[in-house]
Amino acid sequence: MTSVFGNITKPGLRPINPAILLLLIVAICASTARAQYLHPKVTKRETIIRNVIILPARIEVVRDSMKGPEGMAAESETLSARVEEAVSSVLADKHGIKRLPTQAPSSTDGGSQEKYNTADFQTRFDQLLPKIIKRRGDVKKGRFSMGDEVLNLNLDKSADAIIFIRGHGQKLTSGKQAFSVLVSGEKAFLKMQIGIVDAHSGEVLLYTDPILVGDPTTAVARLRSALEKGFKKLPPAS
Amino acid sequence: MKSKDARPLVVGLVCVSLIGAAFRVTPASVKLLPQDQTPPASRANEDFKFGKVDLELLEQVNLLDGRFEREGLVLDDEATNSYLRRIGEVLVSREMKPENVTWRFRALRDPQPNAFALPNGSIYVTTGLMSLVDNESQLAAVLAHEMTHVMRRHSYLENRSNRKKFLTMNVIAAVGAYSPGGAVGAVITIATTIAPFIVIATMFGYSRELEREADLKGIDMMIHAEYAPEEMVNVMSLLNKDIEGENLRLFYNDHPSLDERIKYLSHYLGARADKVTSQMELNRERAAYFQTMQPVMRHDIQLAINTGRFRSAVYLAQRLVDFHSDSENVFWLAESYRNLGPRPAQLTNQELTNSAKKDAAKKRERRTIEEEDRELLGTPAGQENSRLHLQQAEELYVRALSLENPVPVAHRGLGMLYERLDRATDAVTEYQKYMELAPASIDHERIQKRIEILRRSSP
Repeated sequence: MTSVFGNITKPGLRPINPAILLLLIVAICASTARAQYLHPKVTKRETIIRNVIILPARIEVVRDSMKGPEGMAAESETLSARVEEAVSSVLADKHGIKRLPTQAPSSTDGGSQEKYNTADFQTRFDQLLPKIIKRRGDVKKGRFSMGDEVLNLNLDKSADAIIFIRGHGQKLTSGKQAFSVLVSGEKAFLKMQIGIVDAHSGEVLLYTDPILVGDPTTAVARLRSALEKGFKKLPPAS
Repeated sequence: MKSKDARPLVVGLVCVSLIGAAFRVTPASVKLLPQDQTPPASRANEDFKFGKVDLELLEQVNLLDGRFEREGLVLDDEATNSYLRRIGEVLVSREMKPENVTWRFRALRDPQPNAFALPNGSIYVTTGLMSLVDNESQLAAVLAHEMTHVMRRHSYLENRSNRKKFLTMNVIAAVGAYSPGGAVGAVITIATTIAPFIVIATMFGYSRELEREADLKGIDMMIHAEYAPEEMVNVMSLLNKDIEGENLRLFYNDHPSLDERIKYLSHYLGARADKVTSQMELNRERAAYFQTMQPVMRHDIQLAINTGRFRSAVYLAQRLVDFHSDSENVFWLAESYRNLGPRPAQLTNQELTNSAKKDAAKKRERRTIEEEDRELLGTPAGQENSRLHLQQAEELYVRALSLENPVPVAHRGLGMLYERLDRATDAVTEYQKYMELAPASIDHERIQKRIEILRRSSP
């Protein structure tokens, strides 16, 4: 009997199925984080991030079944809130960075305007994100900025930075899991893109894209671990 | 024949039969109409029975509605949303209440001209589309098209069909994974590689049929509600304008091409055009529409500028000024020209070819707006465009300030223009005037900071 690794079998020993091997690797390296890119102002400690505002995270997860992807709108919302909380907790515990409350829009016309400003700023980040992803290293050159319109958000004066969180992931149904073991090798995952933007100048201070391998709706500890790795290079507030 | 020898044949047969099955998954409820055939009268898809999968989809889309609102994507303007509701109610007859449908009509804050329907009866029209159309009949055409998608249960049918096709693709992949070696194995591998593409092609082809049905039934609804049906064709022509050069022809496209739509709609209408509206009536309708939509159009120009759609901003602002040249409308035209900067106001025929549009799309993915500005300013044409557009903007700002009830933001615009032209003292003066006239503006802090920087940098 042969395996993909060659003739490695001996009488009495069964070969390791490559799919099982893959699952083992996935289980061992349950969460991974990719590189982080910091603006020179942050690395040179010219800008110190002490207080941040986290804008509502936008995370989309789907349930991938044999009949295609199915929406998980409610789970996506729950996960978005959980990621926001996890980012806040990692920044506080590991870097001493405090999360400030986001101002809730009032019910007047001014409230609508504030809601629009936040929505438009989120859209602006979405427009900038593909450019950052294409040339992540340029964050280190200070290439990316969202402009001084950031001041129109009228955030808490003590805020040093604004955090944008995006992500997408998938969870596999049991049928798809079996299929994946046999054929495709697909995994459940959550890929995040997190940007930290200067609350005064609009410059992108940090970009990181942690990846979590596993069911994104249940893997709470792995989520935290992926985020810890994602913010590893961020200097502490003090 | 030994069982081992029969395996390639069996695998091959399975592949062929699956590919064949994939071609026959179009639901029986979707009848393909010849070009000149009249579709049945607009009504809900009465044969439709809700299954578990459909109810799951309904649950998902119900959650989407709330999310659009929370995230500030829906225009929070009761007047506009009621206006849309009124048109929708005229189009849909009172007895038409399909199961699990609650009609809701809302404007979505997006400068890209578009509209979509959720199967629960929520119809969204972007501010970009509402600003582009000329009159209420054209807006009714868009709503009628989207409402047909809901009434004929197109989302559910498409969802069911896609699920079958996904399953086919996965089974093909599974079969392919166990193909034997040799020439037969190679043939099967090729078949399994190509088959998913064939399945995808049938998926999008199915979509195109639904779009056609929605177009034709939309015309019926317009006639029934006494809207000018020929405006359905005109709205397609408007969408065909491609001001930003972004309508790419793709191999897989869920809508038929706009040219194709104009052709079959004109053909269909030609056979039944028992109501053709006079130009005078359409002009009256246009004036009333612009009067109602002015706030939405201004809001949309701001969104277009924010998202780098400067040519659209100039086009829409010019239409507003042509309709009514008050201080605010003139200000928006000035803002549009200032932001247009070194770009040409209109794309040339060369720039509107498919390959040029693809190149431009790639550049947009790479460059930021500021980088595009700098790159264009490095060319003689860009410098000339910038000079002309900034001059035009200055004249318009000054004009906006000379009109009745001048808008204070025109001072801010002038300040930004002078800052760009390195006229620091003039910029500070204009910014200060703006802050005096609008002390409670939302951008107070931003302008104050600009004044401080300009003062520090100027001698």
